[in-house]
Amino acid sequence: MFPTPIAKTSRSWQLTYQSLLPVALILWLLPLISIAVFSIKPDADFTSGNYWGWPSSFEGITNYSKVFFESDMPRYLLNSVFITVPTVLGCIALSAMTGFALGIYRFRSNLWIFFMFVAGNFVPFQILMVPVRDLTLNLGLYNTKTGLVLFHIAFQTGFCTLFMRNFIRALPFELIEAARVEGVSEWRIFWFVVLPLMKPALAALAVLIFTFIWNDYFWAVVLTQGVESQPVTAGITSFNAQYRAAYHLMSAGSIVAALPPVAMFFLMQKHFIAGLTLGAVK
Amino acid sequence: MNPFLQGIITIVVGVGGCIAYFYFSNLFLDKVLFPARGPKAGQNINRANQIRPWLFLFPAIFALGLYLAYPVVGSFVRSLYNRSGNDFIGAGNYIRLFESPEFRTAFFNNILWVIFVPAASTFFGLLAAQLTDKLSWGNIAKSLIFMPMAISFVGASLIWKFVYANDNDIGLINAIRAAFGAGNPIDVLQIPFWNNFFLMVILVWIQTGFAMVILSAALRGIPEETIEAAILDGANPFQLFFKIKVPQIMGTIVVVWTTITILVLKVFDIVYTMTGGNFDTEILPSYMMKFMFRDDGLATAVAFVIMVVVLPVMIWNIMQARKEMR
Repeated sequence: MFPTPIAKTSRSWQLTYQSLLPVALILWLLPLISIAVFSIKPDADFTSGNYWGWPSSFEGITNYSKVFFESDMPRYLLNSVFITVPTVLGCIALSAMTGFALGIYRFRSNLWIFFMFVAGNFVPFQILMVPVRDLTLNLGLYNTKTGLVLFHIAFQTGFCTLFMRNFIRALPFELIEAARVEGVSEWRIFWFVVLPLMKPALAALAVLIFTFIWNDYFWAVVLTQGVESQPVTAGITSFNAQYRAAYHLMSAGSIVAALPPVAMFFLMQKHFIAGLTLGAVK
Repeated sequence: MNPFLQGIITIVVGVGGCIAYFYFSNLFLDKVLFPARGPKAGQNINRANQIRPWLFLFPAIFALGLYLAYPVVGSFVRSLYNRSGNDFIGAGNYIRLFESPEFRTAFFNNILWVIFVPAASTFFGLLAAQLTDKLSWGNIAKSLIFMPMAISFVGASLIWKFVYANDNDIGLINAIRAAFGAGNPIDVLQIPFWNNFFLMVILVWIQTGFAMVILSAALRGIPEETIEAAILDGANPFQLFFKIKVPQIMGTIVVVWTTITILVLKVFDIVYTMTGGNFDTEILPSYMMKFMFRDDGLATAVAFVIMVVVLPVMIWNIMQARKEMR
């Protein structure tokens, strides 16, 4: 890159800049680093007052196996998986179709339906709380994973449709016209022409929705209670209440709860960022 | 493996159902309702094409209607009734709200959140995007700054509980204070007024990554020539940043700002898990949770107030979207 202003400045300024940045970065991540350190310390370190020093022994395996084998965390994690995966699949299936309809066809109320989806995207979900809870109760889905999945799919469809429509709009329309001229039926156009082209958008959306749903706490509190259906976000609060003074277990539990979306993010970073950029800027 | 099997069956039935609905409804339209043959073939094709979009849209509109349109209206109606939902009391709930000092605190705090969090997140995001732009390890730095974004609000709050803990040993802030010689630990979450800002810091910590990612993409999109020209004309790095780069990405900055603003109006997790709304840190979304299962009338009234506050931002966004659509 030709003009690098920073390279033209004096040597000392460059050095301070280069060294201050890592320091700032460590400060930024200090909360995470501290609980990571706490989570591998033995219980004894906390009673003897060795909070910030070097761990007297590494008890990472003991602490984490306690979280996995002696608490309800595995149940909560499993619940989260059973809530998140069907929601992601359902949202993508639905929004691929609606995005296709809004992006490809031109009909009179196209714009209004599109606005409805935009509005649905921005409505504060608090306003839905009481009616949705009553609806879920009446359908007999209160405190079930199915109830949570159904609601999440319905609510996320607005955002997903917006996302898909914008992506499909950017595809070369000539491809679809060419297929139509060849006499390919609409269903086949969708399945064999548009869907393969949408793969990057599908991946980005899947990663994005996965984190949204996995991290949801509001609806987990409103629509479920108890270990048989609550996801891990609600589970971790009861876990921490249970082990109130056991800092090493609380830290380990927090890390376990946060790990799946963070791992997802690092594995699928490209898609994640592509998704955010597409969703926000378009 | 009962729940596992159940999960797989749900997925298969759900996705299979979607595809089957889509396939068979199109088939029905093309072959049975308006077949593309016989004397009226041309007319039939046109008719089928007019109906087809609605086939694609129907499931989503139905879901959105059931879970979105109906609840918005239902909430408003419910907020006009009393606690048990039997008696119509008109604006009674709203009057009660505006008379309660707690609601006013929550409203005031919410205004603070809406001003501070988007501004700080955008500022730090822009700073991080600019500072890491030309670095060799910039991408690693960006990933690390972005990482909090992947953690749930609850998870982040629990992590920050360690930072704010009222204890010289566990609490990071108090540990630092102790290292500088301050004796007794303080509970930063109980300092009046400023405790709000300590809570906001958590959300800024999460959202900075989001702002940074979007803004750094925008910075990359700035035409190189404008920067070269400015440097040749002798602009210093600050002028280059504020007079050349920032004006060119203003549109993106506004988008980031409004996106975070809307998010701020919905976030309740942080206050709910950190202080439970005590010590005057209540904001509207968490204030509403107090009435959940207790007084639906008041809860929906609070929700509607939030809705009214969000409305201008929402309308502005829709207008932007419309402009974009030409």
